[in-house]
Amino acid sequence: MQDAAVPPWLKKRLVYDESMNTMKEALSASGVATVCEESLCPNLNECFSKKEITFLILGEFCTRSCGFCSVSNSPNLKHTPGVCFKGNMVDPDEPRKVADAVDRLSLKYVVITSVTRDDLDDGGAGQFVKVIESVRLVSKHVKIEVLVPDFKGTKSSIKKIAKASADVFGHNIETVRRLYPIARRGADYDRSLSVLRLVKELRQDQITKSSIMVGLGEEEQEVIQTMQNVRSAGCDILTIGQYLRPHKENLPVSRLVRPEEFERYVGIGYDFGFKHVSSGPFVRSSYFAQNIYESVMSLASTHKQRTLGTIFFIEKIGGY
Amino acid sequence: MTDVKLPFLAQGVEKATITYWHRDVGDSIKEGEDLVELATDKATFNLPSPVSGILKEVKASDGEEVRVGQIIAKIE
Repeated sequence: MQDAAVPPWLKKRLVYDESMNTMKEALSASGVATVCEESLCPNLNECFSKKEITFLILGEFCTRSCGFCSVSNSPNLKHTPGVCFKGNMVDPDEPRKVADAVDRLSLKYVVITSVTRDDLDDGGAGQFVKVIESVRLVSKHVKIEVLVPDFKGTKSSIKKIAKASADVFGHNIETVRRLYPIARRGADYDRSLSVLRLVKELRQDQITKSSIMVGLGEEEQEVIQTMQNVRSAGCDILTIGQYLRPHKENLPVSRLVRPEEFERYVGIGYDFGFKHVSSGPFVRSSYFAQNIYESVMSLASTHKQRTLGTIFFIEKIGGY
Repeated sequence: MTDVKLPFLAQGVEKATITYWHRDVGDSIKEGEDLVELATDKATFNLPSPVSGILKEVKASDGEEVRVGQIIAKIE
């Protein structure tokens, strides 16, 4: 029997691709981690078949314990909220390993993200820079998107990243202000907005990007407020997607947002002035990252951007 | 005859539960049309048919668990 609890728009279409194994082997040979795997992403099969990967640097363990996330925060107490693990070594060979994977797979666009490292003085910003530089050494033409933690708001860390000139600078607001104490302990709503604002002040031509999950307990009006705040921080690209619980220890899914609501966010987002808005059940911050980057780069007029963004959204919904 | 295998879903996810066959044995199916629906703890997936043909055999029924890489159907 078909499971009545899962609405049709939340059924993910799988892709057949024998190259999947090649991909996994290359990642494994390079010794790199991906957030695609660590977060149990439902898009993994689709993205890997298109050679779209998000590398996860700075170790396997996070010093925070966000209620929505499946990345471990301790080697012994996996997925235990509230327990932080400190002192895992930064791998000095990591920049080379990521570059090696980029080279092996001939990637044209890479997304690099990390666990949060509150235990490091610079929050890991220096390692981000080394990885960016190392990737650029193996491929001059590769486009690089970073998705960084808040670095506890440390300006020198954000400045380091800004100077490394990634093609896209991402920092996720993740959820609405009211839910921060539940969903993003250790983070601060205003601090995350200031990260986005600061990088834009440091480098005006930096494309910035942020992401919101829905289904954590927020209301539509709060999402709209968050979109407005993110846009006011100068953010260019916004992605909105359905939260799905990775483990039973994580926060429950409060609601399954209907496609109509996702579509409303597209219209509202463009009215607020975002250059691109992706909104849909399976949209994640790095989903179709290359296409989004290219559409932002190639389109000058607001009208064109709006049309393309909406079509992109409908295409994504159409298959489910 | 084409073997339909359960593709890789996610890291650490080795099994999925068959929730619905979109076609019965003997039915025809076109390449790309949904063949079977599967569920894991995190998400529900639809697996499209890799080829056009007649569904000759299904190796698992609704509610049964299948493993990544396992042959779950045959199409000719």
